[in-house]
Amino acid sequence: MVEVASKGLSRVKEIYQDRPKRVKELKAEGKKVMGYICLYPVLEMMTALDFVPYRLFGDMREPITRADTYLPTVVCPFLRSLLDLGLKGKYDFLDGIVTSHICDVGAQIPDVWNTFVQTPYSHGIDTPHTTHQSSREREKGLLQDFQKSLEDYTGQKLTTEKLKQAIEIHNQQRALVRELYDLRKPDPPLISGVETIQVMKALMSLPVEEGNSLLREVISEVKGRKNGPPKKPARLLVWGSIIDDTALVEMIEGLEANVVMDDTCVGSRAYFPDVKLTKDPLEGLAYRYLVELKCPRTFKEASSNRNRKDYKADLESRFSYLRDYARDWKANGVILESVRYCDTHGYEVPGVTDYLNNIGLPNIYLEHDYSEGALAPLRTRVQGFLEITQ
Amino acid sequence: MYALRAHVDKMYDVGREAEKEGRPVAWVMLEPWSAAILSCMDVQTVFPENYGTICAASGAAATFLERSEAEGFPNHLCGYARNCLGYTAMMTEMGQIPPMAPGGGMPKPMLLVSSGAVCDARFKWFQALGRYFDAPIWVIEVTTSGPREALMEGAYEREVNFMVNELREFVTFLEKLLGKKMDWDKLEERRKQTRELNKVWWEVNHLTKAVPCPMHLRDFYSSMSAALYRSGHEAEEITRLYRGMYDEVKQRVDNKISAINYEEKYRIIFEGLPPWHSLGFFDQLAERGWNFVTERYYHPGRVAEVDLTGISDPIERYVRTRYQGLAKSIDETFEPEEAVKVKEEIMQKGFSQYIAARKVKDYKCDGAFLHTLLTCRGTTAPLRRIASHYLDVWKVPSITVEGDIVDLTLFDPADALRKAEAFEETMDHYKELRRKEGLGW
Repeated sequence: MVEVASKGLSRVKEIYQDRPKRVKELKAEGKKVMGYICLYPVLEMMTALDFVPYRLFGDMREPITRADTYLPTVVCPFLRSLLDLGLKGKYDFLDGIVTSHICDVGAQIPDVWNTFVQTPYSHGIDTPHTTHQSSREREKGLLQDFQKSLEDYTGQKLTTEKLKQAIEIHNQQRALVRELYDLRKPDPPLISGVETIQVMKALMSLPVEEGNSLLREVISEVKGRKNGPPKKPARLLVWGSIIDDTALVEMIEGLEANVVMDDTCVGSRAYFPDVKLTKDPLEGLAYRYLVELKCPRTFKEASSNRNRKDYKADLESRFSYLRDYARDWKANGVILESVRYCDTHGYEVPGVTDYLNNIGLPNIYLEHDYSEGALAPLRTRVQGFLEITQ
Repeated sequence: MYALRAHVDKMYDVGREAEKEGRPVAWVMLEPWSAAILSCMDVQTVFPENYGTICAASGAAATFLERSEAEGFPNHLCGYARNCLGYTAMMTEMGQIPPMAPGGGMPKPMLLVSSGAVCDARFKWFQALGRYFDAPIWVIEVTTSGPREALMEGAYEREVNFMVNELREFVTFLEKLLGKKMDWDKLEERRKQTRELNKVWWEVNHLTKAVPCPMHLRDFYSSMSAALYRSGHEAEEITRLYRGMYDEVKQRVDNKISAINYEEKYRIIFEGLPPWHSLGFFDQLAERGWNFVTERYYHPGRVAEVDLTGISDPIERYVRTRYQGLAKSIDETFEPEEAVKVKEEIMQKGFSQYIAARKVKDYKCDGAFLHTLLTCRGTTAPLRRIASHYLDVWKVPSITVEGDIVDLTLFDPADALRKAEAFEETMDHYKELRRKEGLGW
């Protein structure tokens, strides 16, 4: 067992800066590491069979040099970067990779990865696009396939008991994250947006129990801290596609703004919905991972009356949680952001903008190409936006 | 060919007439299921994807693309979608079909039927149309399993089960919306008609394997729309036209008549969606002896025999007819021993080069033309991987030309021609390599 010298936010920063270090230590102790992309691979099933679920990211500070041979440059730079790291051997410690149908490029990644990177195990979950009854049943069936695939690979049975335990532990982590997010509600928030991203990424690099211990340290430290973020006039909610590096939020928080809340997948989208414990745990898992996760990749619309469409009611059904976030976290502005070529979020932007305009929340849309250099011009636009909100 | 296109052009006239008469009109996405079902419930279907190609070819797309951007939609989104979003925004603002709309324009729908088939952008696009129409949307689910997952024991049956349940939900939704019952006898009739149509259309396209290729891809693009974008009830007439086309193309095969008026020097597979705004570019390449013999996205698959004994549910009969699953597709494409190896390779590695590369062998291609599109990640993302399979398995090289389906400003034909000229040397080199390795052509 490795002695951990630092604790709380210091430990978080260490892990954030060198994510593979801890997981490689665990591997040396005999643990198996299962990589996964995005929110839809079911973590509980990996944990139940004693894998360390390890979320795969890109690196916006590393130039893409190898992936362009296998993916054209007109695709999502985050996924290109992720693949680039795989091709460079940065994910060689993985014992497997789990993907899902997250978007059009994401649906191609398994084929490219299997062809050019190769890991001992891979499985793709063909997550449906809607929440129709047939789709929910399909999702459960796909999780049964995933279970069989994991059992064949490990030679172990994924029992109901193990799965229920894993669900409980992962739900505990989600509850702890929500507790941490509550600490962003005061003015000024007790933890910054930058620190929150670091915590999220650290959690996505550790076994769930270790992550829970770390979270408890962080929560205790943050509650008691005297040197938290300074008070600023703008309290912002950030909505959009993946933010897996602090650079964008650092840029925003370097201005007269605190990022107090997010609706992104390295943030609240990953942690806010729990898994309901059902008699057959796969039912609860299927429901949470298909229906409860809030990502525009899943088609949802106002279901109250399918015979006619009401745009306002549809927007309310899809986005009212943003109003609740803004109210509860006292956000007075919203930054909508997306990596370039993200079609999923790109189609969503006018609708979200309409909704936010209807409820009187100032907002601005930023598109970036997932590189540090791309952020400098956005600074001026954010500055201008902050002047408007004030 | 012109008679086939006329069928598709008529779709817009018929659609506008239906709207005027208060009959239901649906905007629909291309996928195997909904058009037939909607036709059984007397819903007139119109395909905005096809309308995007018409706008591109007629030069009208620029106006709609500009409007789409003004509405806040990023300019990297699908060209068909942006064309449609811009068109719809203008139609809503004007309260009528925009006067510059080619072909008379698309009528206003009372229903949108989208799908996750082919790409996810398609259902996001129709969802975004909710800004302009109070038309309910149904998104038809399809399966998009990876190769290894699709070969798991029982996978095909589970996929069929999913599709059947999904389509049952769709029919229930339609019955409630339209206040009428589904005509199941008509669906069975559509099944047989569609099967026959696809069979004949496949046979026409199978002929392009001949050397020299008797039918150029331009002719394919001009005549494919009738097979894809139809309301369902004209299947028999369209099949008759395709039979006529078969006879014509067969006659060219028998007499070794090439599709191009030049010596066929290079047989090319086109990868991606075509530059609808610049189809004349193919003619410039034809002058250099380039004969485009096939492509991947719109070509029909072989229509397999399906045993429907004991299956009485008309939806299940339709699903099993239209969807074979990966295992059967491999069995239909490869000899039995090869098929076993391909399946083993997939279970071991998660992919098979041989599936992707099969077409270049069957059609004796000398090169692949990769048309990478700024606005279509669904078709563009796999291109480099497919190209690597072509090279590794059959020593067939590729050329990459950037462009777009609808936006003319993204395509530089002069640059593309320069690249093409240089690429000929590459194709000659690999021809020689294939000859030395005894690879067959």
